[in-house]
Amino acid sequence: MADSPAGSHAHAHTAPHDIDSAVTRSQFLTLSTVGLGAMIGAVIGVPATAYVLAPVFDEVKFEPVNIGPISKFAATAGQFKPIPATFVEDQSLPETSAALAWVHNTGKQNTDWLASDAMFVVFSNRCMHLGCPVAATSLGFACPCHGGQYDTDGKRTAGPPIRPLDRYEWKVDNDSLVLTNRWSVDFVDGKLTYFPVKMPGQPVVVPGPGVVQDNVPDVLYPNVTYEHGPVPKAQ
Amino acid sequence: MVIGAEDWVEYRTGFPTLVRSFLFRKVPPTGWFHTLGSSLLTVFILQATTGMLLAMTYDPSPSGAYESIRYITDVQTLGWLMRGMHKWGASMMVILLFLHMGRTFFYGAYKYPREMTWLTGAIIFLSVMGMGLTGYLLVWDQRAYWASVVAVNINGTAPVLGPFISKFLLSGPIFGAQTISRFYALHMLLIPGLIGAMIFVHMWLVVRLGVTPWPGRPAAAEDDA
Repeated sequence: MADSPAGSHAHAHTAPHDIDSAVTRSQFLTLSTVGLGAMIGAVIGVPATAYVLAPVFDEVKFEPVNIGPISKFAATAGQFKPIPATFVEDQSLPETSAALAWVHNTGKQNTDWLASDAMFVVFSNRCMHLGCPVAATSLGFACPCHGGQYDTDGKRTAGPPIRPLDRYEWKVDNDSLVLTNRWSVDFVDGKLTYFPVKMPGQPVVVPGPGVVQDNVPDVLYPNVTYEHGPVPKAQ
Repeated sequence: MVIGAEDWVEYRTGFPTLVRSFLFRKVPPTGWFHTLGSSLLTVFILQATTGMLLAMTYDPSPSGAYESIRYITDVQTLGWLMRGMHKWGASMMVILLFLHMGRTFFYGAYKYPREMTWLTGAIIFLSVMGMGLTGYLLVWDQRAYWASVVAVNINGTAPVLGPFISKFLLSGPIFGAQTISRFYALHMLLIPGLIGAMIFVHMWLVVRLGVTPWPGRPAAAEDDA
């Protein structure tokens, strides 16, 4: 190689004959630039994507909340007159997580919230169509946004809601009513069944044989499942 | 030697030539319907300008948003005008966008070779819808709050990705302090940036491909000119 001239025109004469398969300097530099650029992009882009998408995987946490003495929630004989109780759902976000529960006193005395003669039924006021606040009526509940109607069990009777109103799990503590958890509910084979909270408009029961909700195939709702963690026994 | 200011700039940047070739082009016979695109551009500039001015006072936090809007409207000098222009400009932009899209459709102006112009326009259309959605919440009154709750839950009903989209918009599982700052960032940084970039491409294509003549009258340009 000592006799190879340095000039480029001469270089062409003495180039090895497999030059076509070799990586040229400019190809190498192009690849290096693109590769390094991709690496730099990934170093910035991957954490940035994770930063933006992380909240997508957060779940609702419910902290028990005392909504007042049970004397506040008296029964009205012969009438459906649930009493509204406001509270803050997430203490760290008092301005945006104001919540309202409709406390219906059944006139019975059992303080086991799942008993058939339970003292209270506590409904969420969040409409299961798209999340507007429902108001209590003598017939049940009514939503002002798109006309959803519910009966005194919180079961849909008219309008667009896809399932009954959510319910709060509760206990009586020192004569105070304490909401301890929140459940989405639906009727499975005619029985009220409790599910982890899902947002309004999203079904808790897989559409399928016997549970005809719409014509959307099961595969479109893969995250809707009967595997729902600690579920209290059906009422 | 004395040279004109325009030549001075021309020698150094070439901008005057660029601007002239952009503005002085041959066009086929046009009518009022052809002004919708430039009207949209004008309203976009109006929205961007008034938006920047409003952002100087607006406070995207749950405790401060409503108060800052009230301050802009009732106290700040000409604040009512800036906010009013932004509010009515938003409606005007959507109306003009539909008219512009209708004009393009009925003239057949989306056909070869202008498919990419139509597609970039479609991206602008969806982005403007996004601006409407995110801007609506920022007023932070009862209507803004509940309309956004409903809108987020509508997104939540989309197949497969719905629950993720709604949590992405809310920045968590419930409506929180981060929701309003997320909407604010989308409204004044991300989506306008996308619209601006798409307008650039859209206009590049309009200049490159020329204005669409009336359908079915290919010789009209020479006849009427």
